[in-house]
Amino acid sequence: MTPLPDNLLESVAAAAVREGLADALFTHVGTPIGRLLVVSGPNGILRIAFEREDHDADLAYVARHVGPRVLASDREMVAVRDAIEAYFAGDLAALDLPYDLRLVRSDFRRQALETLAREVGPGQVVTYGQLAERTANPRAARATGTACATNPVPIVVPCHRVVPSTGGVGNYGGGPDLKVRLLEHEGVLVPTLPALRTPRS
Amino acid sequence: MLPPFFTLVEAHGDELLAHARRLAGPAHAEDVVQDALLRALRAYPRLAHADHLRAWLYRVTTNAAIDHHRARRREIPTASPPEVPSDPHEIDGFEDLIAPLPDGTRAALRLRFVEDLEYEAIAARLECSPQAARQRVSTAVRTLRERLAA
Repeated sequence: MTPLPDNLLESVAAAAVREGLADALFTHVGTPIGRLLVVSGPNGILRIAFEREDHDADLAYVARHVGPRVLASDREMVAVRDAIEAYFAGDLAALDLPYDLRLVRSDFRRQALETLAREVGPGQVVTYGQLAERTANPRAARATGTACATNPVPIVVPCHRVVPSTGGVGNYGGGPDLKVRLLEHEGVLVPTLPALRTPRS
Repeated sequence: MLPPFFTLVEAHGDELLAHARRLAGPAHAEDVVQDALLRALRAYPRLAHADHLRAWLYRVTTNAAIDHHRARRREIPTASPPEVPSDPHEIDGFEDLIAPLPDGTRAALRLRFVEDLEYEAIAARLECSPQAARQRVSTAVRTLRERLAA
């Protein structure tokens, strides 16, 4: 099977965006942490998936919950692609991109992720408990953990900046190693995080 | 459940381009497919089911080729997007399009592009060999193209 020419597909995507016919657009971006799937809707980024995740399943999920008119386009996604590439090249502020948390299933999780994106910038970390406090529910540390674990827009909504109070970097959708790499990229000295600071017995 | 639209383009884009090439000629095939995909996008969320999507795309492409041809003959660009029928699966102008053709030709086109049958199934329905079925569909597409060129 020969795919259609790129210029034809890009023309269709551009016309679809102009006419408001696209429910979502997606692109793949090569980065130092692997090939990311990035999906955007009219209001911002809906989904970012790591290389190890099932991208076809993610796109089917977007089609089901946002709308079936999901199109591939590198050109219509160029601003997002450039921002992600700039972030990995060292411009940590480049990821200040519009996002859309409509794929988040509960109001609390959405609030927690919005608080995180608004208040915890590059180079900073908070614990799950601190994020719960800032989301006005100090007893919900576990629920903020779930919010981070199910964050549909990692990296842009920076769940890698949330760590357990008991130490270490905790879990991450892309794997704990990747969380360490992102934190180090942002200048966080991972060995100074609580558990790593205390020599293990 | 409708699949993400890009999966249809990935699965059928090349054969739609070949179909457009047969109907409209190589110089216009890409324009026809681009128009067809936009028409399909306009109608897609209102499809009642995900059956026979390939055949539906063939019909949309066929209609796009015909309108493209008419527009070129009039040498005026179409100013507004075509009206989209309320039930795009059932009413997409295909029957109107093939109405002037002989019975046998219409039957072959319907079996291929409405019922979405493979040539073996078409052969069973037309009581001929798969090779003859392929020939009849191919002849029917050519007849359609010749009517467009007339």
